Amino acid sequence: MKRLLMTGLAMMLLATGLFAAGTQEETTKIEGVPTIRLVGKDFSPAEEWNLKHLDQIEEAFAQYSGQEINIELVEIPEGAYAEKLNLMLLSGDVPDLIYFQGGDEVIANQGLLTNLNPYIEKSEVMQKVLLDFNKDRLANYPYLLWLAPPRARTALVRQDWFEEVGGEVPTTVEDYYEMFTAIKANHPDAYVMTDTGNTNRMDYTFDHAFGLTASWVRENGNLVYKKVSKGEQEKLAFYQKLYAEGLLDQSYVTTAWDTMEDKLYTGEVGLVYGTAGIVLDIYENKLNEKQGVGMVALPPAKGVGQGYSVSSAKETRGWAISSTSPYPELVFQLLEFLATDKGQYLDRYGLEGIHYNLEDGNVVFTDESANWWPRFHNVMSWEAPTPVLGHSGQDGWDFLMKYSVGDPDFPIPEEMSPTWDALENLYKEYAYKVITGIESPESFDDFVAEWYALGGDQITAYANEKLN
Amino acid sequence: MGLRRQNLKRRIYRDRHLYLMLIPVLLYFVVWHYLPMWGTRIAFQNVRFIGKNEWVGLKHFRVLFSSPIFLKVFFNTVAISTMKIVFIFPLPILLAFLLNEIRNPHVRQGVQSVVYIPHFLSWVVIAGVFISLLEAPDGAMNKVLGVFGFDPVSFMTSSRHIRWVFVFSEAWRSMGWDSILYIAAINSIAPELYDAATVDGASRFQQARKITLPCIAPTIITVFILNMGFFMNAGFDQVFNMMNDAVISQVDIIDTYVYRVGLRKGNFSLGTAAGLFKGIIGIGLIFTTDRLSRKLTGEGVW
Repeated sequence: MKRLLMTGLAMMLLATGLFAAGTQEETTKIEGVPTIRLVGKDFSPAEEWNLKHLDQIEEAFAQYSGQEINIELVEIPEGAYAEKLNLMLLSGDVPDLIYFQGGDEVIANQGLLTNLNPYIEKSEVMQKVLLDFNKDRLANYPYLLWLAPPRARTALVRQDWFEEVGGEVPTTVEDYYEMFTAIKANHPDAYVMTDTGNTNRMDYTFDHAFGLTASWVRENGNLVYKKVSKGEQEKLAFYQKLYAEGLLDQSYVTTAWDTMEDKLYTGEVGLVYGTAGIVLDIYENKLNEKQGVGMVALPPAKGVGQGYSVSSAKETRGWAISSTSPYPELVFQLLEFLATDKGQYLDRYGLEGIHYNLEDGNVVFTDESANWWPRFHNVMSWEAPTPVLGHSGQDGWDFLMKYSVGDPDFPIPEEMSPTWDALENLYKEYAYKVITGIESPESFDDFVAEWYALGGDQITAYANEKLN
Repeated sequence: MGLRRQNLKRRIYRDRHLYLMLIPVLLYFVVWHYLPMWGTRIAFQNVRFIGKNEWVGLKHFRVLFSSPIFLKVFFNTVAISTMKIVFIFPLPILLAFLLNEIRNPHVRQGVQSVVYIPHFLSWVVIAGVFISLLEAPDGAMNKVLGVFGFDPVSFMTSSRHIRWVFVFSEAWRSMGWDSILYIAAINSIAPELYDAATVDGASRFQQARKITLPCIAPTIITVFILNMGFFMNAGFDQVFNMMNDAVISQVDIIDTYVYRVGLRKGNFSLGTAAGLFKGIIGIGLIFTTDRLSRKLTGEGVW
C-alpha cells in the first residue's frame, strides 16, 4: 500500500513537472487578479457571446498558467476600425492587448508596441505553431502576431457547372481557359467569373503561371516590380481575352464583395475567388441553401510557376502588446495559451450549448456555429478533434500548404508612400483599360515608361538595394 | 457712458430669456468649431502617442504637395466642386419657386416630404443604387436608353460621364433639403406685394421674377458666399463610395488621396495639413466672393 502511495505521489510529481515544462516559460506570479485590457475588431463587450467566451478563456488560462486574470474588453466606436483605434490610442487610452488591421506602423515607430521576438524565441508553443512566413514577417516587423493561414484567394466553382464540363481539375492556364469556355457554352447568359473592383482575387490563381512569382521579379539580373514586368503584360492580355469573350463579368470593376456573393447565389456567375479556409465554406453553404448546389475549390494555375505568393514584408493585421502594459509577459502568455490545443478548442468551436453540443464526448455543431468565428488565432497545425472546416475550406487550406511560396517583400517607407500611391493608381487604371479593350496590351511599354517616370525608378532602386 | 452701460444692462435683463436660449448655440460653436482650431497645430507636428508632439514645420505640407499626382488631385477637386456649384446651386432655388406655385397645401407638403427623403440616405446606399441603375448593359438606365435605340453606356466607368454622375446624384440627394431655406425666405415675403401685382395684372411668372426673386436675393447671395467656404470639399463620402479603378484619375480628390496616404495609416498630421490647406482656400474664396458680390449687387455676408 505504502509502495503504491509512493508510486502515485511520484507520478503526480512527475506529471506536475511535465505540465509545467510543457506550457510556457516561468513567469513571476502576480499578486491578486490582474486585469488585461483588450481591444479587437467586431469584438464588442455589448455582445453576450464575447463575454462568455472571455469567461471561459479566463478559467482555462488559470488552469494553464496558475495565474488568475480578468480580461476586460474595451468598447470601440463603430466605423473604420483602424481610424477609430488610432484615435482611441491618441486620446491616451492604450489597452494591453491590441488588434490592429492597418495603421500600426506609425504607432510601432514611436515605441508604443512591444517587440514580440524575445518572447516568441522562448516559447515552445509559438515555435510549434508559427509557419515559416510568420517567422519571416516577425523578423522584418516584430510587433504583430497573426496565427492564421496566409491570405490567399482560391478559385471556387459551382459543382454542377464544373461537372457538366467533365469535372476535371484544371492545371495549366490553357486548361482553365478551356474550362471557362465550356462553362460559357453551357450557360451563355451568365458570366463564368467575377472579381471585386480589380483583378486582385483572380491574380492569386494566375500570377505565378505568368511568372509573377513575387512582388519583385528578376528581369535581366535586376529586380523589377511585378506589375511592370513582361509577365504582367501577358497576364493582362489573357484577362482581356476572358473579358472580350464574356467569361469575365463585364461589371467586375463596380462589383463589391457583397454583390459578388449575390451574383454567385443567383447564378449570374459560376466561379468566384475567396479567402482559403472558412470563407470558402460560407460561400458553399450559402449556395447550397439557395440553389442546393455544392462547390469545388481549384488549385492555382500552372505555367512558369505555380503557387500563391506569401509576402514576408510584415503582418498586415494581428495582435500587438502595448509597451505601456504593466504585464507584457502575462499578456504574451495569454496569446500563447490561445495557440495551444485547449485555446484553439475554445476559440475555434465557440460556446458549448450554443455553437456546439457534446455527444459522447464528441463535438457536434449546431446551426449557430455558422455565426461563430475565432476571435484570436486560426492555428493551421491544430488537429481539431472534430474538423472545423468543410471540404471546400479544407481543400483551400491544403492548397495553401502545398502551393504557398515566400515573397521577399518589404514595407514601403513612409516618405515614399505618396509616390507608391500614385504608381498603384496608374497601374489600376491602365489594367482596367487593357482588360476591357480600351487599350491594347501592345501599349504596355508606354505604361511602363510612364510608371518609371512617375517615381517608379526611385522605388525600384530602393527595392534593389533593400532586397539584394 | 454710465447711462449707456445702464441701458445695456437693462436690455440684457429684458431679453434674458433670449440670451439663455443663445447659450447652447454658443457652446456648440465653441466646443465643436473653435476649440478644434487649436488642434490644427498638429499639421505642423509629428503626433506622438507617448510624450510631447514633435515640431516639424511644413513637413506634412511638403509631403502633401510632393506627390506626383497632387496637381491632378487638386484639379479634380476644383473641377468637381465647380460643376456642383454651377449646376446644383440653382436647383433648390428653382424647386422652391415651383413648390411655391403649388396651391394645394396637401400636395405641396407631400411633394416636399418626397424630395427631402434622399437627404437622409447614406452615400453607401445611394452609391449602391446608382451603380445598379447605371450598370452596363443591364442597368435600368441602359434598358431605357435601349428602348430609344441608344447603345448602352457604362456611366460608372466612363471618364466622360462619371463626374456628371456625381453632379446628378448630389443634386438628387441635396436639392430638396437645400430648398428649405429658400421656401422659408419666400414664405416671409409680404402677401400684399403679390396682391398689388395681381391687381396690376402681373402674371405668375412676372410676380416670380419681379417680386420673389429680388426678395430672396439676399438669402441666395449669403448661401452662395458661405457655400464657397466649402468649395474644396468635393464630397469625400460620395466620391469614396462611387469611385472605381476605371476612373481614378478623373475623380480622385484631395480628401480621398489624404485618406489613402495619411488617415488610413494613422498619419493624422497629413490629414490636418490637408484640412488646413482647404480651409485657407475656403476663407479666401469667402472673402473674394463677398467683395465681388458687394461690388455687383450691394449685398454681402457681413
